[in-house]
Order: sequence, then C-alpha cells, then structure tokens
Amino acid sequence: MTTGTIVGKVTDAETGRAIVGANVVLRGTFIGSATNVRGEFRLTRVSLGTHGVVVSMMGYERTTVEGVTVRSAQPVRLEVKLRSAPIQAEQVIVTASRREQSLQEAPVSVAMVTAKMIVDRNNVTLDDALRYVPGVNLMQDQVNIRGSTGYSRGVGSRVLLLLDGVPYLTGDTGEINWETIPTHQVDRIEVVKGAGSALYGSSALGGVINVITRDAADSPELRLRFFSGLYDKPRYEEWDWSPHARFNSGAIVSYSNRVGPLTYLLSLSRTVDESYRQNDAYHRWSFYAKAKYDVSSFKNLTVSANYLRRTHGNFFWWRSLREATRPADPQLNGKVTSRRGNISLSYKELLSDRFFFTVKGIYFGNYWRDDSSGRVNNTSESHLFNLDIQATYTAAAGHILTGGVGGNFDRVSANLFGSHPGVGAAAYVQDEIGLTSQLKLTAGVRFDWQKVSALRATAQLDPKLGLVYLPDDATSVRASFGSGFRYPAIGELYIESSTNVSQVVVLPNVDLSVERSLSYELGVSRQFGKSVFADVAIFNNDFRNLIEPSVLIKRYRPYPTSPNEVEGPVIQFENVTKARIQGLEATVKVEWWKKYLSTDLGYTYTWPRDVNENTILKFRPRHIFYASTLIGYEYFRASTDFRYVSRIERIDDNLVRLAPIVHGEQRVPIKVLDLRLSYDLLALGFPLRVGFNVNNVFNYHYVELIGNLAPVRTFILSLDGIL
Amino acid sequence: MRIVGVVFLVFLFLSCEPGLTVPPEVEPGFGGIVFFEKGTWPPQDSLFNLWVFASQIYPLDSLKVFEGLFADPPRIYLYPAIDRNLPLFVDSTSYAFALPPANYLYVGVLQRFASEITVRSLRVVGLYGTPDNPPLPIPVVVSGSQFIDGIDIRVNFHKPPPQPF
Repeated sequence: MTTGTIVGKVTDAETGRAIVGANVVLRGTFIGSATNVRGEFRLTRVSLGTHGVVVSMMGYERTTVEGVTVRSAQPVRLEVKLRSAPIQAEQVIVTASRREQSLQEAPVSVAMVTAKMIVDRNNVTLDDALRYVPGVNLMQDQVNIRGSTGYSRGVGSRVLLLLDGVPYLTGDTGEINWETIPTHQVDRIEVVKGAGSALYGSSALGGVINVITRDAADSPELRLRFFSGLYDKPRYEEWDWSPHARFNSGAIVSYSNRVGPLTYLLSLSRTVDESYRQNDAYHRWSFYAKAKYDVSSFKNLTVSANYLRRTHGNFFWWRSLREATRPADPQLNGKVTSRRGNISLSYKELLSDRFFFTVKGIYFGNYWRDDSSGRVNNTSESHLFNLDIQATYTAAAGHILTGGVGGNFDRVSANLFGSHPGVGAAAYVQDEIGLTSQLKLTAGVRFDWQKVSALRATAQLDPKLGLVYLPDDATSVRASFGSGFRYPAIGELYIESSTNVSQVVVLPNVDLSVERSLSYELGVSRQFGKSVFADVAIFNNDFRNLIEPSVLIKRYRPYPTSPNEVEGPVIQFENVTKARIQGLEATVKVEWWKKYLSTDLGYTYTWPRDVNENTILKFRPRHIFYASTLIGYEYFRASTDFRYVSRIERIDDNLVRLAPIVHGEQRVPIKVLDLRLSYDLLALGFPLRVGFNVNNVFNYHYVELIGNLAPVRTFILSLDGIL
Repeated sequence: MRIVGVVFLVFLFLSCEPGLTVPPEVEPGFGGIVFFEKGTWPPQDSLFNLWVFASQIYPLDSLKVFEGLFADPPRIYLYPAIDRNLPLFVDSTSYAFALPPANYLYVGVLQRFASEITVRSLRVVGLYGTPDNPPLPIPVVVSGSQFIDGIDIRVNFHKPPPQPF
C-alpha cells in the first residue's frame, strides 16, 4: 500500500454548522475535493508521508492544516473549523492571468457570479445570471461589457466567452450560445472587464467571461431541481394575447460519484417555456456529462460533453407596440430547430512544485434551421475545434511565467453564408514580476494568425501591461493597459439573404477588416474593517473599425439566378465606427447586523462616443445601477435585486424603418425589481430547499432589444434537493 | 425608521411607473411637407393633375403603373385622390396620406402634364429619396397602427428625378 486517504468535516467556527461546497486540496498536488451537503470531504490516493491540507470557501478565511501524516490505508480524520472572513477576502480567480490568483492581485477589474447566486435567482440560462454584474448589461441575450457592444443580435460578439478556459463562440456567426452551457453545473463565472486579447485572442475587445464548471462529487450524490413559473398578465388588455395562463417549468437531475480514480457527473434537463409572447415558446432537452480521471496525484484528465436539442418559436420583433406580445406577421408561423453540442478534453500535469502544464481541446458543433409555415428558410451547420497548450512556471526571483500555443479550425456550411473553412494559430507569453513585496508588474504579448476561406490571412500582435500595488493588507491599487481585436465572423463576411424574416436584403462584404480596441484602467479597492468593501475604477476604451450593419443603396440581384440587377436599400456589414468609451465604475458591499443583512451596490457610468460622427454611440446606455440586498436568518433567506439601466439615447433609425420594426424606436429606462425567498429544510432533516421568486415585481414594461417586450411579472416556485 | 420610509417611498414610486404603454390607435399612413422650388412652376395648362403617389411596386414600367393603380386592392395610391390635386403655385403644402399597411418602395410627386390619360402624359417631379445625384427612392413602411411623419418631398419642375417609365 503506497497511498492512503484523508477524510473529514468542515464546519463554521461560530455556528458549528456544516459548510457545503468548501474546497479541500492537498497542498502541492491536484488532489482535491469539495465538501458535500453534510460538510464532509474525502481525499483519496494520498501518498504516504506528511502533508498540508488547504481548505477554502468564499466568505471564510483560508485555512491550512499542517502536519497531516498518512502512514497506512487507515483513513486519517480531520475536523476543520473555518472562521468568517472580511466579505471580499479569499476570492480566487483564474481568468485574469490564466492561473490561480487572489482577486486582490488581479491588475484588471474582475467580477464573479457564484453557483449559489445562480440557484438563488433561478437562472435558467447563464445570460440571466450576468444581469446583475456591475458594468455588464444585456440586450436580450447579447452581452455588453462597459459599452463594447451595440446591436448585432448576437452576431460577432465583442465579449469572449470561455468554457473552462477555452474559447466558446459559435463557428458561423461568432456569437455566444448560452443555452449549451449547463447552468446548474456551473461552479462560478468570472467576468474580466476590458480588452483581453493579449491572453485569449479574438473577440476579447470588451472583456472575457469564463464559465467554470463544477467537479463531480467524491461520494454518491443525486441532485434534483424542479421549478415552475407562471407569467402574470401584462398591464394592458391589448397585450393579453392568450386566454390561457402561460407557464415555464423545468426539471434537472444530476448524479455524481467516484469509482477509484474516476469521478463522474451525469445530468439531464428538460425545460418548457410557453412564454408571455405569441410564437415564442420553446422546448428543450439537454444532456451533460463530465468525468475526471486522476492518473496520479500530479496528473489528471477531464472529459466533458454536452448535447442540446431545442425547438423555439421565431419571435424576432413585435407587430407593433399596440400588439407588443404578438410577432410581426412574417414571423407568426416560424420556428427555429437547433441541435448543439460540445466535447472537451483537458489534461493537467504538475511536473514539479514550480511547473505545470495543461492541454485543453474542445469541439463545438452547431446546427440550426428556421422554418416558416412548413417551408425551410435558412439552415446553418458549423464545426469548431479549439486547442490550447499552456505551461506555467514559478521561477526564482519573483517571476511567474505563463506561455502557450493554440490553434483553431472551423467549417461552416449554410445557405445564408455559403460553405467556408477557417483556420488560426496563436502563441502567447506573460511574465508576472514581483518588483517588491507590495508591487507586482505583469507584462504579456500574444501573436495570432487567422485565415478564412480564400481570403488573405491576417496576423495580430497584442500586448498587455498591468501593475498592482498592495500598500497594506486591505488595499489594492491597480493599473492596466491591454489591446483587443476581433476577426469578422464568417456570418458577417459572407451573409447573403433576401429571404429572411426581416424581408431586408443583406449582402456579403469580404473586405471587412479586423476590429481593434485599446483599454486603459485605473482602479483601487479597499476593505474597511470586516464589513465594508469598496472598489472604484476609471476606464478608457478606444475602438477602431467596429463592424456594424449599415443601410446602403446598392445594385444587387434580387435572387442568385436573376438575370437583372435592381437598385435599392440593402444591409451590409461595414467597418464604420471609430469609438471612444470612457467611464467610471464603483461597487460597494456592506454587511450589517452580524451579517444578517448584506447589501451590494454597483454603478457604472459610460460616455460612449462615435468619434466619426461626433455623437453618442448607438445602442449604449449611459448609466447602469444595480442594488442587491440579502437578509439571512438561520435557514431562511430573503433577497431583492434592483436593476436600473438608463434609456438608450440613440438607436439606428434606418434599421428600425427598413426592417421594418413598427414602434421600434419606443424605449424607456429599465427599472426592474426581483424578489426571492427561500427556506432550507435541512433544519428539519430534509436535504431540500424551497424557493419562491417574483421577477419584475412591479410588472414594469420595457425593452432590452428594440421591438422586444421584456418578460412581464413572473412567479416561480422551485425545489432543490441533494441526496 | 427613516431608511424604511425612504425604501417604502422608492417602492411606491416604482410600483406606479408602467414603463412602456400602449400607444393610441391611429389611422395608418404617412405625411409631411411638399416643398416646391421657387420659380420652377410650369404654366397652368400643363398642370392637369398633381398628386403625391405611393407605390408598392419598384422599379415601375408603363404596364405596371396602370396595373398598380387599378389592381384590387391597388398597389399604387394617389393623394389627395385621383380626381383632386395638391394646391398649385404655392411654396409648400403639408399632406397626410392615409394608406393600407404595406412597404411603399417608391414615393414622390406625380404631374399629369397633358390632357390624354396615358403613361406618356405623366412624369415624376419630386421623389422621397436619398440626397445622391441622381436621388434613389427610400422606402416607407406603413404598419397597422402607425402614422409616419416627416416624409418631406422636394419638387423642382426644372430638374425632375430619373423617370421610371
């Protein structure tokens, strides 16, 4: 017998209650575990000898148990008591520098959404979970960080989505597909604000969102989640289109366990949303699996896969504001069918206590088609492969070196875009230099090369620079500079449509150039005592060659085989906009009355300017304000989320008129209040949590995306159980 | 207590705000002002008719003009009516054109300058179009419950836009 086992329990030092989800790691190895619903953990395959066991959990002080000696197969038992910590302490992130580091050490602004927040808010897709992150706002499902993105209906995202650290945008339109991420298997989401192409490549103009999935439990665990929601009636009879109550409901079942060195997780979910709007309902099946094989204490291999199948009504925009819950006539009988899936593989090896490397690869396949009255209009099939090999070396003299190479290949076949391949390669390096014990400099550069179909290849070189100064334990001052770029998506280059639902002719433009951005940020954060944390940042983002849909008068063939050309208005993607976005962001977290009450405030002011036209940039809000409160007593929790987004000052009038979107110009500030109540029946001996949410409490009517009424008041009952 | 009071008032304020509201029902169509270039008016005997027209058909040819005017329902409409005219010899005149919901691809001012009623006696003298030279027509989309303002048309009888027929 050359290995042993460490088992134990993690509890709150003050209340004695079990802590669920605490991370327990054998120091200097990849051996780790999360505590289960009873606060218990189990570390297996521990080599004989004396070890340090590190226990961490957000909201608690990180604790290391020294001198844990494993001598035989007999399990060693530990009892770990964690003491509560200042509210912002011990948040560990991985996205800002491609390695684990404390949030305080990051040279850029980073926000985090935890699994608990997702469950509390009953978020069905991940975009909903991002609605309360300071500096982030969503235009329906299109994410915008500090004003980087306007109106594109998702096409060509200027925020890069990573799934467990690997780029995860669709191959055809370069957009984020939130549905394929298993929301309830997410451990946390990290949101890095500002250009991040020097580490992650294309699309990281406005920021990076990294979704980190949870590992399987070490002991048998069955998780069940059921929810059912009821849409309230809108305020006006004219919008009450259905005589029946409209529901959304879902069930998620997942099971995880360990078999020897293998841990695995299987999950199946079914969601049905009848929607508050006509022809907007969807039915969705989703399957997710993840397995981790511990080759040894210093090597592991993780494989995950996801498959999703969905049918969805094709509500593109309303018929008019008088009939805001009914789609425009051409969309009335349309539906979209999609099948999407991914398989990812990650191998991690610790070669010494100073050097480790990871190899990550992902395949992401997408197929969708839209039908109208039984006739297939558009279809698209895309296959995307991404590979990333990264090494991290902690050198002497305070250097942490990170470097790697990557590659991608995608192939798109669609009647809208044609059939095109794309291929790319990249190399990056970064050095984190501890200039003094209080001052750290980060410098990095990345080279990217990309070729799409028969177009000329393009290359980019993106630098980054960051500085962090820690004058005392409670304060962090940061400054950063970074550049970003985005290759035009195949969809933007090659789209050609005269038959889509908007009835607007869209022409290809293979002359599109790469979008570029430069970000500068200066920020300071400080912990005041144990109960108050504040962070303030000012930022400047310059954008060049932004690709926007333009309305042009052009000669074109009305259909491919037409012998004659006609002249008329068309939409074409063009590099039209040079923009500057400056702003300020402030967040304050306060815990009151022995932590029974906590408040979280976030405010972002942006001044988005179109430098070419010397006017405000289209589709960007100037003010975003979020306020959350949470009251927790024993097993009861009550919380509110308030969201204010100022009225979009400028939209594209031509787009509204030509689409046409009747009353598309109608918009108001967003002022939405959500309320949540939950009770944990663990106190009564049941591993069950009952939740009740009221979203949009005041039934406030607004649009995020022009011509799309946002959800009305919704009542949701949820049950979560862990067995 | 003061905090609770403020929170209560904020909630009360929020609960009263509806956000977007249903707009009043209006007769669909579009309107605006027709501007006539000074000193370009033709003699009275060549002004048999002067209309604002709205055509769902573009490009037009001789055949399509009459097909469009007399189709059921029509696809080309005239304002104020086929037997009435816009005011003559004025600098400008406002108009309000009630129309069925549709995409009007070609909008402008039409003059009938001869007594016979054929396509050869018609000419377009003003166009709702782009500022290019020559101008290109801009479509006007009329929906089920919207009246669009600001469809202004400039008429210069000496420099008519390209003719469709």
